[in-house]
Amino acid sequence: MNISAFFKAKAKHLQQPVSAAPLATFRVLFGLMMLAGTIRFWLNGWIDDLYVKPGFYFSYMGFEWVRPLGNTGMHLLFGVMLLATVLVAIGLFYRVAIVVFFLSFTYIELIDVTNYLNHYYFISLVAFLMIWLPAAGMFSVDARLKPKQKVPYVPLWMVGIIRLQLGVVYFFAGLAKLNVDWMLDAIPMKIWLPAKSHLPIVGELMYKDWVAYFFSWFGAVYDLFIVFFMANHRSRPWAFIVVIGFHVCTAIFFPSIGMFPYVMMLSSLVFFSSVTHQKVIDFIAGNKADTLTSHDYKANASSGLKWMFMAYLVLQVIVPLRFLAYPDSLFWNEEGYRFSWRVMLMEKSGNTFFYVKEPSTGKTFEVNNSEFLTPLQDKMMSTQPDMILRYAHYLASVYQKRGIKQPAVYADCYVTLNGRRSRQFIDTTVNLASQPLSWQHYNWVLPYNLK
Amino acid sequence: MVENTAGGLYHFKNQHKMISTKKGLGALVIVTAIGLVIACSKKSGSGDTQPTVNGFDKGAMLSNYANNLIIPAYTGLQQQIDALETGVNDFLNSPSATTQQALLPVFKTAYLQFEKVSVDQFGPAERVLFNNFLNTFPTDNAVIDGNINRGTYDLSINSAINQQGFPALDYLLFSANAVSKATATNSANYKKYVRDVVARMKTLTASVLNSWKTTYRAEFTGNTKSDAGSPIAFMINQFAFEMDQMKGPRIGWPYGKQSGGTQYPQNTEGYEAGISVALAVENLTNLKAMFNSGGSGKGMSDYLIALNKQQLSTDVLKQFDVAINSLKAIPDPLSSALFNNKTQVDAAYREIQILLTLIKTDVASATGVRITYQDTDGD
Repeated sequence: MNISAFFKAKAKHLQQPVSAAPLATFRVLFGLMMLAGTIRFWLNGWIDDLYVKPGFYFSYMGFEWVRPLGNTGMHLLFGVMLLATVLVAIGLFYRVAIVVFFLSFTYIELIDVTNYLNHYYFISLVAFLMIWLPAAGMFSVDARLKPKQKVPYVPLWMVGIIRLQLGVVYFFAGLAKLNVDWMLDAIPMKIWLPAKSHLPIVGELMYKDWVAYFFSWFGAVYDLFIVFFMANHRSRPWAFIVVIGFHVCTAIFFPSIGMFPYVMMLSSLVFFSSVTHQKVIDFIAGNKADTLTSHDYKANASSGLKWMFMAYLVLQVIVPLRFLAYPDSLFWNEEGYRFSWRVMLMEKSGNTFFYVKEPSTGKTFEVNNSEFLTPLQDKMMSTQPDMILRYAHYLASVYQKRGIKQPAVYADCYVTLNGRRSRQFIDTTVNLASQPLSWQHYNWVLPYNLK
Repeated sequence: MVENTAGGLYHFKNQHKMISTKKGLGALVIVTAIGLVIACSKKSGSGDTQPTVNGFDKGAMLSNYANNLIIPAYTGLQQQIDALETGVNDFLNSPSATTQQALLPVFKTAYLQFEKVSVDQFGPAERVLFNNFLNTFPTDNAVIDGNINRGTYDLSINSAINQQGFPALDYLLFSANAVSKATATNSANYKKYVRDVVARMKTLTASVLNSWKTTYRAEFTGNTKSDAGSPIAFMINQFAFEMDQMKGPRIGWPYGKQSGGTQYPQNTEGYEAGISVALAVENLTNLKAMFNSGGSGKGMSDYLIALNKQQLSTDVLKQFDVAINSLKAIPDPLSSALFNNKTQVDAAYREIQILLTLIKTDVASATGVRITYQDTDGD
């Protein structure tokens, strides 16, 4: 088989019609998960804590225009998002609802780098994909109200793209674990597990080195390969049991990762075949009203859409690998760390003091971080150079307003990484107020690999 | 139905790998099964047995803290505040420079005893904002004077934290015109205010001690987790918080660290009584005693050793000694030392910062405690 014939066969395979049932069930589950997540966030008081109370927010480069909307505004935005999740789940005004959900969720996430979580990024990506997919073509209020707009069959790639997105998450999470600390030293597991020694029965095991190695290696192998087992129909039932077991355990051992295990468990259902999903929907719906014959199938996705998805997939591979373009240590410098599926990967902790100096008088003012930052912001900032720089710029502007002329800002920062003793993180002689935010390597971060 | 049941985009790839896939899968399932049995069998556990590994028992550590350090410290504070009340009454009943001088050591002893519970602001103390009500300094003396003149005030509201406690007594009993206030013809309001402040300190102390003795002790010793809100996380965070307080309000801020070198001697702890350094030394000495649980072998320093952090444990204890000694080198009153003994103040400040960094980064990281409740990626 020559290459072009291979790609033609492949393309044809991807175009073949399958039941849209996996998209429909995924839409319902996604909507319900987001509903639960939004309610949980609200009830925990995190709207106030994260988006109303702070006086300063760490913007993303290029998204400085994204600002919190005040107490009423933020609660309204969450209210709108909540409504959108319900509409997505029941499939009413689906396109509008999913666009609103994507925009509101992503806007909220872009307000403050402090709150960056990989699974929030995953949700934004999936919501974006779902804008373009006819996920409410069946098993939805829309389909009931307007039977003519039913979409019972879709080309295989429309389901495949969700599966591929999940595959990207797992695979890159697995790749990220292939580093010396994780594989050869079982760190950070050796640090984190003893903190779980309160667990009955297994508690005693938490101090054992072999358990840390078991967790590390199992995590890496699982992340790298689970998606292939989920893709194969023979291994899928067993693989799904592994998925459930793995994520239930992460939820027990690391409750701080919040919704992540549940999002991954339920999302993995999308790997089950269209036939299976169709059966589930038929069972729930109690009839086959939504089922039409394959004669109704129209492969009508525009070629523009296909190209957009191709470009999207290329980006999904490039973005997690962009760290390769930076020198020194990824974990220390964190250049190219976010948006790369690095979850529960390292134990890093820091402590930063800032000093504002007035060059003309030589006066030094030590900054009380708690005056400007929440404890979470302080903690996150102390280990991430781009946040340190943004905060230094902010301090310069604040102290200028307080009457300090040409304030220079210096950071005295100590960071401990993966249990090694803390050491100086930032060059204390560099005036951070005059350093630009950039995609280039920050030379004022002291090198991790000491020569 | 047209769909190939293999489904998904991996169809082609997997046709080739079917055999190796099966073997790999078998291994994966077995490994998971083991993992599941280990991890999820916890549900059948009674939860009563505390794991003792590397000879270390976190439950015993917490019991030791509760029984031998925290509860005795609050009991001591209760006794000292009773003694303080007697001393205050002696002074108020016959105010003079002599009775004022007699009151000073009683006040100092009680204040020093407070430094022994300062680090325990969690559980019942956190609920009643014990430290905030007993030791917010500097006080707002203008508001205190206004309260006395009006004769109406509510010390139980949160905004009144800087109108009461030890710092308010420091101002009320030992400022330059204290004796004349107590002997003035309209001294009734003044005396009532002083007594109300003492009474409130008594009430708060009794309530915290009572909670510890009744319900909270079991809650504290039975929770060996390290999550946000757990006793171990609280303690580590309080160590860091107290060090922050030492670096900021106790030494650094009065010294002008925040204000470009402009000093605020009147903002020191125990300013009128002139006992700031003694209080700071007591605070840090007690912090060390809490860290190694008085050398009982059941402290945080021992927990670190069980976590294979022997060197860190040793270094932190050493740095405690260095910092305590550097504080002791500053002569009281601190308010004058801020101007006359800058070398010593600078040195102490430096050592405190080193200790703070060790606790806030290395110790917090090694013990795996969390400071916040929000979800994280674990990095």
